[in-house]
Formats: sequence, C-alpha cells, structure tokens
Amino acid sequence: MLPNKNSVNSSVNTNENEDSFVKVSLVNQSVFIRKKKSCPLRDIDISEIDYKNLKLLNKFISERGKIIPSRISNVEIKKQRAIANAIKKARFLALISPIKKD
Amino acid sequence: MSLYETVFIARQDLTVEDVDALTNKFTKIIADANGKVKKEYWGLRNLAYKVKKNTRGHYILLKIESEYPTVAELKRVMGYNEDVIRSAIYSVESFVDESPMFVSINAKDFKAGKVSSKKEPSKLDLVIDQFQFDA
Repeated sequence: MLPNKNSVNSSVNTNENEDSFVKVSLVNQSVFIRKKKSCPLRDIDISEIDYKNLKLLNKFISERGKIIPSRISNVEIKKQRAIANAIKKARFLALISPIKKD
Repeated sequence: MSLYETVFIARQDLTVEDVDALTNKFTKIIADANGKVKKEYWGLRNLAYKVKKNTRGHYILLKIESEYPTVAELKRVMGYNEDVIRSAIYSVESFVDESPMFVSINAKDFKAGKVSSKKEPSKLDLVIDQFQFDA
C-alpha cells in the first residue's frame, strides 16, 4: 500500500513543479535582452579572405575541425560565405584537415 | 585575358631539381600560348591528411594570365601526370604580391639556403592577432 501512496504524491508534485517552471521561464524571457554584437571582421576587407591566409581561417575552425557558424562568431553574411568557401578550398589542398580526432 | 591561380602538389620523393623541371614543363604550355606566368614555391609541407599515400608534398603556386583554353589544356596535362598528386585551378580578380606560405621562386633556391629569414608580420596579421570571440 505504501509505495502506491508515494507514487500518487510524486505525480502531484511534478505537476506543481511544471506549472511553476512555466511561470518562471515566462518571466525570464522578458528579463534577458541580448545586445547585438558587431562583426569581428569589420576591419578586414573581403578580398583579404583567401584560401592561402591560413592564420585567419584557423580562427574560424572549432577544435574538431568544423566551420564555426556565424550565429556564434557574429560574422556578417557576405564574409561568412567567403570564409566557408575559402576553408573548403584549403581543405581540398590538404592545408587544413576536414576533421580532427582526439 | 583573365587571371587564374593554380596550386598543385608534387610527390614527396621528388628531388628539388625534379620539381623545377616539372613546373617548367607546365609554365611552358602557357608561355607558348602568349600567356604570363609567375611561380611560387611553398616548400615541402606536411599534408593535413594522406593524399595518394603521401604524407608530405611540394606545393607550387602558379599565377597565370591567359585565355581559358590554354588553362584547360594545363588542367588536362596535370591530371595525367603521375608526379602531381593534387591540383586545383581557381579564377581570381587580382593577384597577391606574395602569399603567406611563400618560400622561394624556384625550388632550387630553397635547397641552397638562399631563403630569407623570418618575415615581419603584416598589418593584416596584427589585426588577426587582436580579435577574439567567445566560441
């Protein structure tokens, strides 16, 4: 009999928790407003983004060798596209590895 | 006349003289068709991954100014050559004076130790060093 009672209680508790969680999350959304960051490549001309410039390209590659999305790096769209194309060219020429294992 | 950049990787067990002979063979194709070529040798570099069982390779950059048919002929010849393990041709709007990997014009100079010592960092390098973002 005892375990049944416990199960009923726990289910009630979880429902209460869910309600409270929804309320809190609604409040939080109004509190946090993100500022728009500026592009880190604003001082660099788009013609300087090249497959030969490995020092620049290595900044936009994650530890696993993936291209970092502009959602995280805040690079503007035209330059992000240029970087992605340059990295793909450098990968083909075996200057950058497409994947890095541990 | 339009501008093209060609990078090709030569096999690792070629000697420096062989590499020069190979590049001269390719530049001759363009020079015969009244095109202009500039050479750049990037040295024997480690490859990021194995290409046709090679772990290292001689990198050569050719800056070409010519018509497309001669470049297409160059592409065909490079594809057949067994000493070339990988090649790529890209059309560009302008040439860079000297690429960051530049070692010497001819591969022979690299062996003879005529290569200039460490370069001064360019303006672009200084800008690159500064910026950081939270990944």
